[in-house]
Amino acid sequence: MVERLRNYIGGEWVEAGVREWSPVHNPATCELLAECPESSAADVDLAVQAAREAFGEWRRTPVLERAQFMHHFKNLVEDRFDDLSEVVVRENGKTLDEARGEVRRGIESIDFGIGVPFMMRNDGVEDISSGIDETTVRQPVGVFAAITPFNFPFMVPIWFLPTAITCGNTFILKPSPQTPLSMQLTCELIDELDLPEGVVNLVHGGVTSAQAIMEHPGIAGVSFVGSSPVAKIIYETCTRNGKRVQAQGGAKNYIAVLPDADMESSVKNVLGAAYGCAGQRCLAAAVAVGVGDAYDRLRDELVKQVAGLRVGYGLDETSQMGTVVSAQARERIVNMITEGEREGATISLDGRDLQVEGFEDGMFVGPTILEDVTPEMSVAREEIFGPVLSLMRADSYDEAVELINRSNYGNAASIFTSSGAHARDFKYRVNAGNIGVNIGVAAPSASFPFGGQKDSFFGDLHGQGLDSIDFFTDRKVVIERWFEG
Amino acid sequence: MTPLNTFGAIMTQAIGLEQGLADYYERAGNNDRASACARRRQKMMRIRREAVLEITLEAIDGLDSDDYALDLEDVSENGQARAASTAARFYREVAPGINVRQARRALERAAREHAGQ
Repeated sequence: MVERLRNYIGGEWVEAGVREWSPVHNPATCELLAECPESSAADVDLAVQAAREAFGEWRRTPVLERAQFMHHFKNLVEDRFDDLSEVVVRENGKTLDEARGEVRRGIESIDFGIGVPFMMRNDGVEDISSGIDETTVRQPVGVFAAITPFNFPFMVPIWFLPTAITCGNTFILKPSPQTPLSMQLTCELIDELDLPEGVVNLVHGGVTSAQAIMEHPGIAGVSFVGSSPVAKIIYETCTRNGKRVQAQGGAKNYIAVLPDADMESSVKNVLGAAYGCAGQRCLAAAVAVGVGDAYDRLRDELVKQVAGLRVGYGLDETSQMGTVVSAQARERIVNMITEGEREGATISLDGRDLQVEGFEDGMFVGPTILEDVTPEMSVAREEIFGPVLSLMRADSYDEAVELINRSNYGNAASIFTSSGAHARDFKYRVNAGNIGVNIGVAAPSASFPFGGQKDSFFGDLHGQGLDSIDFFTDRKVVIERWFEG
Repeated sequence: MTPLNTFGAIMTQAIGLEQGLADYYERAGNNDRASACARRRQKMMRIRREAVLEITLEAIDGLDSDDYALDLEDVSENGQARAASTAARFYREVAPGINVRQARRALERAAREHAGQ
């Protein structure tokens, strides 16, 4: 019988108090891996109670001791690195290399959490006034929650968890019901840490539990990563309920390729940016703008290199691209390609009917290239979240920048060039939170904030980096005077 | 034909190669080489875990595992020299395809070590 997942609340594995379950499938083999409960508001409330009870003791635990837990956590994750990577492949469909890279990026965030004692230090001024000293103290805030997506089932939750708890907060995690197994295994490792019960809690579920998290008065702040429409709802609902919120939304990331770019190397990198993780990442390259005569060379080199990409089951290490996450995702992507064609785009490489031998029912969409895409087409404006790269022409560099800045999204943008002047201007003028120069996936490492502008981010403080220290702490000002004699 | 077209495929080939050679040298009574291969295997496993950066993964082409098949039956001095030479060639030829410096350095060093045997 297939495993029915349980929540992890107050240091115990407990059954959700509902009878609704959603299937968790391996998108390549269609094997049923587990069933995920749709936890209710009452389940969320149990987790909040456990987290609130744990908060008092946990915030009094010295920060070095809290960081020590992160050392142990890192060791456990390193020990189970291969298992975690395989779980990511089996539930998400990406390749083993991509899953290993994801787990490695997650470990970077644990490393960042280990550094929290340094980052929580305070500042102060003696004699701000005569005989009066003024200092700031960073304090944990309370219970934080994270609602995380399917595309990076290990990495994204770990963006938040280590920093939140090492700062002295307690934590509730609600992973995507499509890919809950990475966090199930991670919480099994957390259970081995012997943290005080309730410091970390796992609640499985979908909309019902997300809604309960947004509205629960016992939760101080929420971190979210997902689509823009949902990010907006999360932001509005959480702020209405008096919470801190960082809500990272979707994207339509543009790449400008200038005539002076090293075309072969650039295309190799663009290819990884567009088709890595089957295009299911919020930093995926979605539109490549060829400037001037770069367009034809870009298209020719892309078609040449992409045609050689090997698509297959992620656990086969010779696969260079895996599946998308589900049948629904596959259908949506295929429909968007068809809509692009209907609107006038030319399909130079069509991945709609791709079949992978031995995995005929798998959720594969082959790498797709759409040519002659214009700004008004849906494939230029809307997030596809699949292995589809749209090619657009620009007569000049300025026109390329204008096209990029016209997008409603502002997650990332990259330029491929050998001109320092153009690269500097691009960094200066383009309205996106993460800028790549000769890098297709402009993903900030854990010590930098994960940027995002326009409809790609709702909130003030970004995930990761020093922003996350501000998000997970409150600064109290102490003004002090001692009377003499 | 098994293409060595990803970072993981190359590192897994290296791990398997070192495991095979460690067993081979042990059978040949060459314990120094056997333990050197076992150490390198551990290192390659660590590199496969640590040196993979999801955002810089790029497709690799033109390499195939069949080109580096080892004859692990012949334990004579000549046979050992041929095995070491094949291993050195493997590392020499795959290293340039890896875009992570730490990994490439480890592969280049392994090439030198096998060539020096």
